[in-house]
Amino acid sequence: MTESKALQERKHVWRAEFLLIVSLIVFVGVVYALDGALKPVFTSSTLLLTGVFLALVPAAIWLTFFYLQDRAEPEPKHFVLGIFGLGALLAAAVGVPLVESVFRVSHWIYADTLTTILGGILVVGFVQEFLKYAAVRYSIYHSAEFDEPTDGVIYATAAGLGYATVLNIQFVVSNGGVDLGAGVIRMAVVALAQAAFSAITGYFLGRAKFESEQVWWMPLGITLAAVANGLFNWLRGRVVQSGGISLTGASANPWLGLALAAFVALGVTAIVLSLVRRNIRSAQVAK
Amino acid sequence: MLTTNLNRPSLGDRYAEITVVAVTVIALLAGWFYKSSVESRSVAFESDGVSAAVPDGWLQSQGEGSLIRADDRTSAGFPTTYAISKLAVAADVTAAQAASFQTLDRSQQLTGFRVLNQQTVLVNGQEAYQVSYVFVESDPNLTSADIPSVVLGMDYTFVKDGQAITVSYWADEHEFEPGLNLFNRFLSSVKF
Repeated sequence: MTESKALQERKHVWRAEFLLIVSLIVFVGVVYALDGALKPVFTSSTLLLTGVFLALVPAAIWLTFFYLQDRAEPEPKHFVLGIFGLGALLAAAVGVPLVESVFRVSHWIYADTLTTILGGILVVGFVQEFLKYAAVRYSIYHSAEFDEPTDGVIYATAAGLGYATVLNIQFVVSNGGVDLGAGVIRMAVVALAQAAFSAITGYFLGRAKFESEQVWWMPLGITLAAVANGLFNWLRGRVVQSGGISLTGASANPWLGLALAAFVALGVTAIVLSLVRRNIRSAQVAK
Repeated sequence: MLTTNLNRPSLGDRYAEITVVAVTVIALLAGWFYKSSVESRSVAFESDGVSAAVPDGWLQSQGEGSLIRADDRTSAGFPTTYAISKLAVAADVTAAQAASFQTLDRSQQLTGFRVLNQQTVLVNGQEAYQVSYVFVESDPNLTSADIPSVVLGMDYTFVKDGQAITVSYWADEHEFEPGLNLFNRFLSSVKF
């Protein structure tokens, strides 16, 4: 790798991130509208298959945009797909069993606000963010293909979308299929959130490799991503249930959850982008 | 400053890697202790000379032959339930006999009831008769599309001063084993 390459901003990476956010919102709108207009009737098996197909869409959208834009300096497709698969594998083999069966979070995490936040950070956040970090750190990180700081964001996002895909498939399978309207919103929220938190980990990974960072640098990155993860899940719960309780029962508004996820994803992407730009400017000045 | 470094992991890399693992392990341990503290939160209950520490946040009710019945509404499938019932018995009735009466009653009330195991055990130094069983919980509403749940149950029957006290644990077949430690904590808290 040349030093000048390390100084590239790689605008297409950020375009793919922004396009993922916009496209997922459009995708949700289209599925929601079709569901409302056509009112399709499914058998249990077709409902399950449709749910699994929809769970794969967010990752497919990101990968498509990424490759359409990544013509100047393409990352090897098999590496990006491999990290996506590794993220999914770690989620299915370690993350989901650890959170659901060992920690059994659904039994205690909603006890009160503090528990929701602390459980979300210490258990759910750290498990998810460490596994996404591990998917990159113990595979591509020391490869010659990981040759610029922005690669951290690319590969971590791939791992995060792999993780999100497994979370969404698990949700579909455990419920025997999902309501298309509400289900597709949940899938988009999970994918946007996982991609956003992965970008934080990816930024720290990229800098850890190409700059002489202190020993606390990477733990700080994982911790920040875990805190963002835990706080987001708590806030999403608050926002979605903010409709209150009426005579017809508690009302939930999943659209507010999607709006929050899109806002968080845009915010995180903008912050990471500005940090990368600042690093590049510093490096150029130093030259 | 940005530099190029494609070499194998340096010592600094190794330390950073170990620190990440250490921080994650510390966070998970803290999470585990916090989980345990949340699960051990309880609400004191006392009725008719029987006291117990019911898990905080569970839905409590009385009636249907129970001094208390506590349901965990967050459980998947059949809600995990603890119940304490009390029955007057003759002075010479043993815990095994009282448990047999209870078992006969359950076999008439519950669908697909089968006894899996029964034995005399000691609970906090007190002799009790333990009966493990299984039954099927089905919504009596014929239009309900829910698949019936297979429920595992366990009764501990104690006899004291002409009273048979039965402490029961019911849980979905997938939730029974993971929830056993919490139930044992509840069982230990029962005083009469």
